[in-house]
Amino acid sequence: MTRADAMLLAALAAFALAAYPVAAALAGDAASSTAILAGPYGETRIDLDVDALITVEGRGGPVRFEVEDGLIRVVDATCPDGVCVRSGVLAAGAPIVCAPNGVFARMADGRGGDLDAISR
Amino acid sequence: MRYRGRPSATVALTAVLLALATCLGYVESVLLPGLPVPGARIGIANIAVLLALVTMGPARAAVVSIGRVVLVGLATGTFAGPAFLLALVGAVAALLAMDAIRRAGERFSVVGWSIAGSAAHVLAQLGLACVVVGSSAPLLMTPLSLGMALLSGIAIGFASRLLLSRIPSLSLSVA
Repeated sequence: MTRADAMLLAALAAFALAAYPVAAALAGDAASSTAILAGPYGETRIDLDVDALITVEGRGGPVRFEVEDGLIRVVDATCPDGVCVRSGVLAAGAPIVCAPNGVFARMADGRGGDLDAISR
Repeated sequence: MRYRGRPSATVALTAVLLALATCLGYVESVLLPGLPVPGARIGIANIAVLLALVTMGPARAAVVSIGRVVLVGLATGTFAGPAFLLALVGAVAALLAMDAIRRAGERFSVVGWSIAGSAAHVLAQLGLACVVVGSSAPLLMTPLSLGMALLSGIAIGFASRLLLSRIPSLSLSVA
């Protein structure tokens, strides 16, 4: 690894670290008991205190979420690589994204849908 | 710096590297399932793309990289779908970044090219994921996804450098 390689690596690592507080600030409330599930056909707010099985229709087929003991995770999806299923339970700093289906889940934050307001 | 074989030899080497990239990509998807982070992969198929870029330049590397994405898309039935688009955008971004670093001169080694390609791959995929899901939520994954991409970029860069130094017909290029 040359000196230039190391500098490139350091710059990109610094960018990743600098992005962390920004992401954390936008990530929603960790103590929230409400999650937002969004798909190509709209979005819905889910109360995590009520156990449930929820299906969100994605571009390529259904994405099935399970709410259990205050946690939500994807149990089944029609995407080819299953990244969303292996993502585990939803956490404030880590939305579950099923990009092939255009579906994602994130924690709600008391201010109400700020991320969507920015991008839509 | 370059592989100076006959045109037929260049075509043959391109085909071998395309086949290698396709196989490595398939092996990775079967044996090493995707990490639970969008865009984060070890990316061993990129070894073949790096070899093509080092030995034959960006045009042949594009044939290997984009050819692999198309072949895998056709083989897995995801061609022209969102997963294919994510793979294609990642591959193109990685190729552009690696070539840009390559053109920056010999200050950078193959490891630097690989790091740049890996970072560009994951950032482009996160950007496209935002467009696909219609939200900036995927950008929240940037620190984790980019951090993992840097680690895999280093690993793939060193693996490529090792290969280049061990294969006599390729080692007339940078290693």
